[in-house]
Amino acid sequence: MQNMTLIRKLITVVSLITATPVLLMPSVVWAQQGQPTIEQLLQEPFLDDYYSNVVYGYEIITDTQNNASRYVGNSLNCSNCHLQAGTQKEALPLNVAGMYPKWRAKNGKRNGIGLRIRECFLYSMDGIMPPEDAPEVLAISAYVSYLSQGQIMGAEPEGRGVPTLPDTGYDPNPANGRAVYLEQCASCHGVQGEGMVGMPPVWGLNSYNKGAGMNDIREAAGFIWANMPLGNGKSLSHQQALDVSAYLNLQIRPSDPRDSKFLKLLEHLIN
Amino acid sequence: MIRQYLSEATPSFAWKNRLGNWRTEIFAGFVGAILVIPQGITFAYLAGLQPEYGLYCAIFVTLFCSILGTSSMMSGPNTAVAILIGTAVLPLAGRGSPVYIDFVFLLCLMVGAIQLLFWLMRGARIFQYLSPAAISGISAGAGFLIIMSSLDSILDLSTFKTTFFYEKIYVIISDARDLVNPYSLFIGLCTIAGGYVGRRFSPRYFIIIAVTAGYLSGLLVAFIWPQPITELEYLGRMPLEWLPFSVPTINMEYLMISTKLIPYAITIAFIGLAQSLVIVRELKMETDQDINLDKEVYAQGIANLLAPFFSSFAGAGSFNRTKANQSLGATTPFSGIASAGFVLVLITFLGPILTYMPMAAMAGTLFIVGADMIKWRDIKHYAKVRAELVIYLATFISIMFFGLATGVVVAVFLSVSVFMLRISQLELTVESSDSGVLLKVKGALFYASLAHLTERFHSHFGKNMTVDLQFTTHIDQSAVDFFIRESKHMAAHGARLTLLINDKQGHFLKKLGASSDIELVAL
Repeated sequence: MQNMTLIRKLITVVSLITATPVLLMPSVVWAQQGQPTIEQLLQEPFLDDYYSNVVYGYEIITDTQNNASRYVGNSLNCSNCHLQAGTQKEALPLNVAGMYPKWRAKNGKRNGIGLRIRECFLYSMDGIMPPEDAPEVLAISAYVSYLSQGQIMGAEPEGRGVPTLPDTGYDPNPANGRAVYLEQCASCHGVQGEGMVGMPPVWGLNSYNKGAGMNDIREAAGFIWANMPLGNGKSLSHQQALDVSAYLNLQIRPSDPRDSKFLKLLEHLIN
Repeated sequence: MIRQYLSEATPSFAWKNRLGNWRTEIFAGFVGAILVIPQGITFAYLAGLQPEYGLYCAIFVTLFCSILGTSSMMSGPNTAVAILIGTAVLPLAGRGSPVYIDFVFLLCLMVGAIQLLFWLMRGARIFQYLSPAAISGISAGAGFLIIMSSLDSILDLSTFKTTFFYEKIYVIISDARDLVNPYSLFIGLCTIAGGYVGRRFSPRYFIIIAVTAGYLSGLLVAFIWPQPITELEYLGRMPLEWLPFSVPTINMEYLMISTKLIPYAITIAFIGLAQSLVIVRELKMETDQDINLDKEVYAQGIANLLAPFFSSFAGAGSFNRTKANQSLGATTPFSGIASAGFVLVLITFLGPILTYMPMAAMAGTLFIVGADMIKWRDIKHYAKVRAELVIYLATFISIMFFGLATGVVVAVFLSVSVFMLRISQLELTVESSDSGVLLKVKGALFYASLAHLTERFHSHFGKNMTVDLQFTTHIDQSAVDFFIRESKHMAAHGARLTLLINDKQGHFLKKLGASSDIELVAL
């Protein structure tokens, strides 16, 4: 009797061991061999419509100021938040094509990936909403699909968005956040949040506007905790990240295009 | 011969001596620059490109054409050319994507090369055979296409594609509540109304009044409703450079695919030259400018060949800007050069303001431009001659249903056919007497016109025949064979053929040889 259970256990273990690679294989193969890497694509002299759009999308993400300046109103690049051109986990990775279309509370609509991208231009890039068939939007959609290859449709990719910080039991304290900012962040982002070459401004008229996801304290805190200071993520405590986020939230930045139209128009005409 | 080509290929600057009133020229250039900015932006939209390409076209194509050319014609972005670029490249790549731009540049290179080929083959004469009715028909058809494509932006149907215009109208009417964006429609209507009211006050600058009306109504809409609600399309910030150098990508794969572009390249080259040469010929008739048609063809070709290297697409002469230029008193290419410079300066300063320009306002001006191209006066004018009315209507209708490229082919085919029909018509007068029949022939006697003559011969069969060839312009071998055959036939029935010829038709004697059945009388 005991032998039987032992044999049964053995069979289960052996079959699991043999089955695991088989179960994992397809996704691994698809993600690694199914498509060329961006570096390979950049070397390629001739690309078809899809891959040329992927490369164009990659160029927009990494250098938005030069490649999609038409719809951009501030001096940010997509890759300032979507770190490593949207491939880094817990830093708003872009491998989310399988999640769309989905309902979002922000605009109360079912959003396709196109609308999602267009709203990024409106809020985070503080610009104007590109038309649905704008080449820039199509290129970024292609790049998002490219990054999403191997993901399971409808399932949440690992490390999507930013981590949700647990309740620390204290309110975020902007005064403490200021101290942390001056100590940890100001060397790159500037004392006045103005940024420097290669480092994005975090407030002021050249930063994201009040309608952007980054203006949400919890969202920004998750991003700061997981990724900031750059290359040394998760070194701040949860409370410190929340404090810095609250401090950033209090600063001057472009208005939300949804509620103060006149101000928005004035900003755009001046800027 | 080579010396002639070389002298045409180098800019002559012969107009320098005639540059009496340079202030007039500069002012005309300034007005031209203001007029071309909305055109450049909207025509870039027609060509499926970002607006800055249209502005670069307004700068560099105009500049090269004016430097190399001899007339005060304003070249630059052109409606028909822009539409044709769009129809040629849209099936190959997504609108405005990098591959699309590569293909547009490749197409423009081809257009420039073909136009240079026209120049080398002295092709300027070919366009004399294109009837004015055909050119008006093409222009009216292009106007219709412009109105239809302007509806896309006025009603904000950005992703809505149909094959036929009636389909589009039907879907718009039946689904108006879902499809039409009222904000966009409001701005478009304001622009069109502004244009038509503005024309009462200032027939020359009404386009600028229309654009301003559209821009202000756009600001009004943006002030009341935010963009996420209106979903309006804006022009956006244009990444403009002063010297936008670019190198067109050419490789094997592109060349393989671009064979599909060749028919379009030929059509664009042809249409562009036809329009430019019509303008130039009108200028030559109306003013005392020292114009060289071949040189204008060369200037167009070089401008289009160089266009892709300066981030712009192919262009051609513009009717309305040349007219404005002429009415302001410009007589030399200097106004074109000034215009190019002013566009560069103006867009540098206007760029930030243009960011909030709604596309519906741009489309409204397109609508006005398109409606102006369909002229009721033209239809009445051509209605007097049936053949011309047929050419006009057939061209217009085939453009409506089958697109501009087909329409051009139809126009060329019909003009050539009418031309052939006309020259194959002989003017025959018959005088009968007791001794025989005297037949006077006026016109060209060749294979196509022989049928007409044969009928007359057979209706007077069996009588002595005298054919008066004094006023016949051309006699070819088949006509000679015809006379030999007929004379033998008549001789067999006891009749005789006499030909009256003038002294210039000596070679005719040689061709006829010693045919004993024909009596030749030299007058």
